[in-house]
Amino acid sequence: MEVLPTCMDVEHSRVYIDQLYSNDSQKCFQAVSELKFAVIGSVREKGSIIEQGVVVRLLQILRAPELDILLKTEVATVLNSLAKGLPEHAAALVQAGLLPVLWEQLESCPSGGSGSAYTQMLLCCLRSIYRQGCAPPPPAWDQKLLSSLIQHGYHPPSNQECVANILAHACKTNEQQQQLVDAGGADLVACLLCSPVSRVQLPALHCLTAMCFNNERVSSIIATKSYGGKAVPDLLVGLMARDRPRDMQLAAATALTFLHRAGALSADDPRIIYKTLQCLVRMCRRDREVWERVEAANTLAYLTEVSTDLQRTAAMTDHLIHTMNDYLKDTTPPNASVPQGISVSPVSCRQYDNPSTWPELMVGAALKVYASLGANDEDIRQRVIKTDVLMNTIVTSLSAASPPVQLAAVRCLHSLSRSVHTLRTTLQDHVVWRPLMTVLKTSNNEELVTVSSSTLCNLLLEFSPSKEQILDQGAVEFLCGLTRRPHPGLRLNAVWALMNMAFQAEHRVKVSILHHLGTDQIFRLLSDTDVHILMKTLGLLRNLLSTKGHIDQIMQCHGKEIMQAIILILEGEHSAEVKEQALCILANIADGDIAKSAIMSNEDVLKKLMNYMVIPNVKLQIAATFCISNLIWNVEEGAAERQNKLREMGVYKLLQNLMTTTDTGLFDKVKTALQQFH
Amino acid sequence: MDSDISEMSLGQEFMRTNVDSDTDQSGTNEGVKAMETSEWLEETNKMHIHRADMNKLIMNYLVMEGFKEAAEKFSIEANIKPPMDLDQLDERIRIRTAIQNGQFQEAMRMVTALHPEILDDNSQLYFHLQQQVLIELIREGRVEEAVVYAQDHLAERGQRDPSILNELERTLALLAFDQPDTSPFGDLLHPSHRQKQVASELNAAILRAQNQEETTPLLAELLKLLLWAQDELNKKKVQYPYMTDLIKGQIEERK
Repeated sequence: MEVLPTCMDVEHSRVYIDQLYSNDSQKCFQAVSELKFAVIGSVREKGSIIEQGVVVRLLQILRAPELDILLKTEVATVLNSLAKGLPEHAAALVQAGLLPVLWEQLESCPSGGSGSAYTQMLLCCLRSIYRQGCAPPPPAWDQKLLSSLIQHGYHPPSNQECVANILAHACKTNEQQQQLVDAGGADLVACLLCSPVSRVQLPALHCLTAMCFNNERVSSIIATKSYGGKAVPDLLVGLMARDRPRDMQLAAATALTFLHRAGALSADDPRIIYKTLQCLVRMCRRDREVWERVEAANTLAYLTEVSTDLQRTAAMTDHLIHTMNDYLKDTTPPNASVPQGISVSPVSCRQYDNPSTWPELMVGAALKVYASLGANDEDIRQRVIKTDVLMNTIVTSLSAASPPVQLAAVRCLHSLSRSVHTLRTTLQDHVVWRPLMTVLKTSNNEELVTVSSSTLCNLLLEFSPSKEQILDQGAVEFLCGLTRRPHPGLRLNAVWALMNMAFQAEHRVKVSILHHLGTDQIFRLLSDTDVHILMKTLGLLRNLLSTKGHIDQIMQCHGKEIMQAIILILEGEHSAEVKEQALCILANIADGDIAKSAIMSNEDVLKKLMNYMVIPNVKLQIAATFCISNLIWNVEEGAAERQNKLREMGVYKLLQNLMTTTDTGLFDKVKTALQQFH
Repeated sequence: MDSDISEMSLGQEFMRTNVDSDTDQSGTNEGVKAMETSEWLEETNKMHIHRADMNKLIMNYLVMEGFKEAAEKFSIEANIKPPMDLDQLDERIRIRTAIQNGQFQEAMRMVTALHPEILDDNSQLYFHLQQQVLIELIREGRVEEAVVYAQDHLAERGQRDPSILNELERTLALLAFDQPDTSPFGDLLHPSHRQKQVASELNAAILRAQNQEETTPLLAELLKLLLWAQDELNKKKVQYPYMTDLIKGQIEERK
């Protein structure tokens, strides 16, 4: 029969808290011990203690050099427990200045003997804070501190676990990844992966993934590290085996995925295509837990995002396409939670806190997988699109879901829209462009708008039946507006979309484009630093200036500016590819009945054309010759005068000289031109 | 091993239930017949298990469960080295003893003194310990103290975790009965509940905190594997010689 301590007695608790401030180290120690027993396991107590401002006193004790190390260890134990409370508690500790004190104490504490217990507690405390994700990322780490931290990570296992966790949660920027590797982090991680203790291996895996993510240099260094005669990638494969705990399998697969995506392991490396991929697909099965399925699917989507081989292999592995379909229909049972003791990656651990968001997480993950699988291969696309409920899910997610799921939906749609067949069929049945336009017009998320505009671009291709309806929605004006955005990806997509829109379009559409865009903006786009934008703008002009009637009408209104723009390009420092486009536009202008005069009256341009005819670049020669050919075309009115003028300038002679060319394409063009001359 | 197997508990009760369900399935089986019993037994006898392995299993069991003296003696008699310094067992033995004597508060303080992170990191375990305190109070009829204890320590936990709330409600429901041990929740008061659940849970948590990879005796895992294998064969309606009593090793023909 135990006597219960009445520790909830207010007077009692006040007594031991008062004693904390005592100068008598015995009494102080007693008080700290009582405090320890009170806060461990009780979230409410932790909150109460923090509110009472006790943390300041605790930090004071840590900093006092004269105080006994056993007392300090006890204080560190209390702080560790406080840090394990709610995120607010950890944040409060950080606010009170806990971190610098801990680092300082870690540096100064003696090694061996009683010092080691203190070190251990300090490391635990740091680890608990970092795991809560509330430590502010420093711009750069203190090199000395980092080195000593890494040294602690070699022994014993409890310190190893702490150090690995600290680094896993703290390593966020490219610079930090770099510093960590330079300070010996990769060697440490390789060593930890071989530890017999799984509690050490798992945070080591998280640390590795944090280091490799999106970092080519670090990844290539890590991929070549080895420990105990085994290279790190092989160690990772071992940790992915089926007899390992699930969180470990997942972490190892993620590490290998990141190594591949950062270029350290190729797509055809058997460890990637025959091990990592399968492990991830396996973890997506229906009988697995939600957190597992979501993490695995997200990682799988990232793994297969680029390589067509991986996409093809994944698409035929274990009914993956069908499995993803289940994700779209999943409902989470009530009272669900992530099992205790499971360690999800530092990046995504918080997102499973609220089970009501799980169905949405599943949908987002599945859409991302579909987006990756269908990115390049038409067969896979067709299989994906046949999936039950997919299109409905996409349409709903575009309008109703949270931004991450919206983005997943747009990515999926984007992949599907690369299929002409799909554009003409499924994407019609499911009026996707409407919610897409809404997203474009209302979203502030740059990534979302960029991918949406890419998708819209595809929807606007000539053979897309929804083109008319999109135009009616004010798409032209909107896209012209997008061309003014600072983000180059957006500008490019916008111009590309306009280019597609102008292709074989009606006159009114072309007029609308020119009206909303304005020649000023065209000039600006032609001076864009991004050459792709430049090319697409020229493409746009070329599409606008097609069909005789349109050419004449457009040149009538905007001829002067257009000629200026073309001369700007021809005179500027540009690649041959760019100049070829400009010449093609000239050739189109030369096709217009009235528009011809714009060229004929401009001696400078004619001289340039002649120069391009003899320049040692066949493509440019062909373009120039084609232009001349159009100018002198026999059938048209005024041909005789034009031919005389050009003959006077020496064009006829040039053409004759070009007859000796070995290039058949050029030869044909030259021959055709010569035949026009009387 | 998969997580489903670890759900199966090991104790006399479970095995008896298993045997009962055996009779339910008579008469409907048209499954594959593995082989004749005599042949089966012959094949089984051909299996050779090294004595050294057997000894290791036994040592593992003794060490895991904290039978220090037995482990020391066995180490001498079987001439086998213990897997760790046996003095390390002392703390687990002390704590297990405290629990067996119903001194849960004492056990919690001991654990905290030795491994301060355990109770913070294992809230389910902590709840079960506190639940035991509550149960003891109820059993002794100290109703008012029980209610205060529940309010002070357990309420906040129940708020945060819905699965704990269920258990908590069941426990508090005992207060509604004059004779709680005959109530529908009377099972909570069985001493075996104390033994099985809390002691093992705590023991496992301490082993984990000591960075031991295994937290249950390998013998237990072996028996679970046997039960699982029999279960799988039953599901597929295979006829084979079935071990009905794990303790006695009795085998019967499944019909």
